Amino acid sequence: MKRRDFLWLLGVISGSTVMSACGSPNRSAKFTSYLLPPEEGIVPGEATIRSSTCTECPAGCGVLVRLREGRPVKLEGIPGHPVNDSGLCVRGQSSLYRLYHPERLRGPMAREGGKHRPVSWEEAFSRVADSLTASGQGSRKNLFLSGRTTGSLSRLVDATCAKLGIERLPEYEVYSHTAVKEANALLFGERDVPHYRIEEADFLLTVGADLLETHVTPVAYTRKISSARARGDFLWFHVEPHMSLTGANADRRFVLRPGRERRLLSFLLREVLDRKTPKMPLPVELLAALPRTTVSIVSGETGISPESLKEIANRLAAAKRPLVIAGGVGTAQTGGLEVASAAALLQWVTGAIPERVDFARSENYRGVGTLRDMEELSARMGRGDAGVVFLFRTNPVFSLPSRLGFKESLRKARLTVGMGDFLDETLREADLILPLSHSLESWGDVEPRRGVVSLLQPVLPPLHDTLSDGDALLRLLGKVSGRGAPGSYEELLHAAWGKRLGEAGRNRLLEKGYAEETLPKKAVSLDGKAAAETLRGGGPVEDAGKPVLVLAPSLRTFDGRSRILPILFEIPDPLTTITYGPWVSMSEEDAARAGLRDRDEVTLTSADWKAALPVKVQPGLAAGVFVVHRDMLSSPPVRTDRRTGGEVEYIVGVGISKTGKTVRVPILSGSLSQLGRGLIPDPVHLEESRRHDRWTLYPEHEHKEYRWAMAVDLERCNGCAACVAACHVENNVPVAGKADHLKGREMSWLRIEPFYEKGEVEFLPMLCQQCHYAPCESVCPVFAAHHNPEGLNVQVYARCVGTRYCSNNCPYKVRRFNWRQHQWPEPIDRMLNPDVPAREVGVMEKCTFCIQRIRAAKDKAKDEGRKVRDGEFTTACSQSCPTGALTFGNLLDKESKVYRLAHSERTYRVFESLGTEPSVYYLRGGKP
Amino acid sequence: MKKTLVAIAVLGYFGASVLLVAGLGYLWHRSDPAPVQPIAFPHTVHAGGLRMACVYCHTFVERSRSAGAPPLEICMGCHRSIATDREEIRKLTRYYEEKRPIEWKRVYALPDFIYFSHKRHVKAGVECAMCHGNVAGMRRVRRVNELIMGWCVSCHRVRGASRDCATCHK
Repeated sequence: MKRRDFLWLLGVISGSTVMSACGSPNRSAKFTSYLLPPEEGIVPGEATIRSSTCTECPAGCGVLVRLREGRPVKLEGIPGHPVNDSGLCVRGQSSLYRLYHPERLRGPMAREGGKHRPVSWEEAFSRVADSLTASGQGSRKNLFLSGRTTGSLSRLVDATCAKLGIERLPEYEVYSHTAVKEANALLFGERDVPHYRIEEADFLLTVGADLLETHVTPVAYTRKISSARARGDFLWFHVEPHMSLTGANADRRFVLRPGRERRLLSFLLREVLDRKTPKMPLPVELLAALPRTTVSIVSGETGISPESLKEIANRLAAAKRPLVIAGGVGTAQTGGLEVASAAALLQWVTGAIPERVDFARSENYRGVGTLRDMEELSARMGRGDAGVVFLFRTNPVFSLPSRLGFKESLRKARLTVGMGDFLDETLREADLILPLSHSLESWGDVEPRRGVVSLLQPVLPPLHDTLSDGDALLRLLGKVSGRGAPGSYEELLHAAWGKRLGEAGRNRLLEKGYAEETLPKKAVSLDGKAAAETLRGGGPVEDAGKPVLVLAPSLRTFDGRSRILPILFEIPDPLTTITYGPWVSMSEEDAARAGLRDRDEVTLTSADWKAALPVKVQPGLAAGVFVVHRDMLSSPPVRTDRRTGGEVEYIVGVGISKTGKTVRVPILSGSLSQLGRGLIPDPVHLEESRRHDRWTLYPEHEHKEYRWAMAVDLERCNGCAACVAACHVENNVPVAGKADHLKGREMSWLRIEPFYEKGEVEFLPMLCQQCHYAPCESVCPVFAAHHNPEGLNVQVYARCVGTRYCSNNCPYKVRRFNWRQHQWPEPIDRMLNPDVPAREVGVMEKCTFCIQRIRAAKDKAKDEGRKVRDGEFTTACSQSCPTGALTFGNLLDKESKVYRLAHSERTYRVFESLGTEPSVYYLRGGKP
Repeated sequence: MKKTLVAIAVLGYFGASVLLVAGLGYLWHRSDPAPVQPIAFPHTVHAGGLRMACVYCHTFVERSRSAGAPPLEICMGCHRSIATDREEIRKLTRYYEEKRPIEWKRVYALPDFIYFSHKRHVKAGVECAMCHGNVAGMRRVRRVNELIMGWCVSCHRVRGASRDCATCHK
């Protein structure tokens, strides 16, 4: 054959292939007549909104569920909700993946010969009933262990246990806040975590408390800090031994040696007492118990410079409404009780109690037990004293240290009944598995804080053969008592709400998704003797100078319970930009001394524990301190505190040795330094001076009605990545996976870039800049990237042929190429937002400024014969932002918020000198 | 000899693929324009003889992007008492009583990446028949227009509607 003929044939074939692709793939699609009229049922093509509560962590944030054709497709915070007030964190945004996860338990299972096989609910309940009766005749005790439960569910568990002769154990939570509760119990007789009114304080000192990561209710704290900052007179100091997101966002971060928090706090207490008359008097015996010390001694002990110590003391004494919060790793240590007590005493003498430390609205952690409770449980089961053991939404096999032998003890029980939604480490050990529904499939309520009831209501029928938490317990109760289930949980709840809130209150709860009771402030009195004894009772500070491993809480998967959500590994850790871990963070000094670089593997050893992890060099970390995220380790080497029974998360004297291997870890950031590129310029207008003239052959873009723009306030952004998760879910951004990340093929449309300067970090959210003169548009050979009349750089997926010229020409690295056909395994495909197409292989994609939301808002405005109003709608990222750092709007509207921000003195644009004229404006410096 | 055989083989191979692709493309493109529906609903009786407005059944057309098939409640509003003895109505009653939604076969379908709003078109005064033809005269609904981009754009151009790609491309 001639070369010409061959080419001719090739042309015909490729041509006809292309032509045949111009059809519609969904010709076989269905067109459904629903049963109910639209008033009660589904309007195809339109979204409905229902309220519920996020159950991804114990904080209990209210969520609005957006449903399309009866399927939840997006979660957003409820505006005005007493916990989260329209904010939702990275875990909450991701939690739809839990609902639709392909590996969710699909029906009850029983273990037979080491393997689980499906059984019917009837059979499962019969087995439980038989075993309960059998252990009733013997001497074995039936036990019920759960994670933290609140509200009606907690009362139902109590009732069920009482009726069936089951002992309800203290609840198990990794973050149990044991020392704080214990200190408050000893000093004030209140064994709980109080509600901190940060928004009312003018000076906040946090010691170890990871307010932005996992501490009690992170979204609420974030909102509070933002509203205090917006007032203008707020200052926040944070003290910690390691480097956390919370520390990175405080106005000042002080690094102290791990375990020396109590020295600092008792020094501060002394200083405050010396400088001004306490708002509340301290008993004499307590004053005597306070050690006399000097700045230089404390400085030597804590490692904080004398000037810094003086500054903290001055600010604390001078503040009108100061607030001290100790928690997190700061209280999860030997001596945690003294740290918590000293912090509580500081709250007392500065008058923070009951003004800013509210025990009336405490955070409902009373039922949560300690690590010692778990030790005792393990020992009890090990003796063969346990009959039926219920494990209800808890995963102790994963998070307890292996020295407890919990897994082995569990096997000695007569029957272990695992109740949960995934076959996790604990459920794998269970004899019988009862699958529970997702909170979006269930009726229920939570009471995350006293006086706050947040609603759970089913927004879709259960996807699998599962029962809601309440119904599973009721059915069990009915089966064992032999009288049948005493009504459904829904009826029980409605009756309980009616009784508690009244008819009108119940209707409000159902309508708004939450109810708030007015509670008077609770005055507490100080037990001086107990306080004095607590302060005196602390042992010596552990040996200094030894390397310390800090088991830090993680922003991404809480205590590890959210590890199942694939999207959370897709979103980088904000401080290191590592996606798929685990890793150990190490100071620059230690790394240099040991000759270690990023990705080099080391072995960490403590008394009875060993792990090999890759290294990440972390700027800002003190020498001798090593950090591993707690959620990454199964059976971490935590010890039990002698006095409180709580966890000790500082592992003193950890051994570190080089293995010589390197591990392939996806670190998304090319550099943690700006390398002088002025991405976050200092001064703000640095880049403008470098600007050069433009010369073009293209006609100027015209904008008639709208020109969409975004303002990003870097002073407000705290790097929490909630926006990244929101973007993923809203825009059907696929999960690329570790292998792709290692090749630099991440898919996220929005990333948070951390930039370090002298140990301090600033976060830069980077998304498509929607440039006015876009470099991507002019290089597209097929006109797939083009500029629309509203100022958007539109990417027409159907037209894109995948040359990737646009991506190569983009100075912001925000375009993402589909290197392969990303899969949405059933039933995750039901999560896809129908307003956004799932992109196919070979197509370039990027941030669209949520064009589907723009379209919906314009549609509504057109119906009403007007233009889109400012603030009427916003993008998914700015909606989710708990600090309000992102503002979206129309730049042609001179009254709009985005116009005001874009014309602020604090405003700059990234790479201004390139002349791309981005539509994303960054604000930096000054007060937000 | 050998050369001719190779040429025939190569030509045959490519020829077969050309035919296959073209055939598939043709079949796909000309997919059944009038599919048989689970219930033989006669538009001739309802829209034709009875002159019922399209909106009476396609209730969503003025308020949603999707016109929607009528909810069974609407059908049953009349057919609880009218023509209950007919075979097709018995089928309908069975669906209703068994609480099963009817899954009709789509006559018109747009690809996943296209945004189209019935509401916007109806409100702009586009008659149903402009795209769907004279449905009142069809015993079984037949596709009269292939929804291809050029066809959409020609009308947008004539009526002065937006021709920004992002108007239709999601």
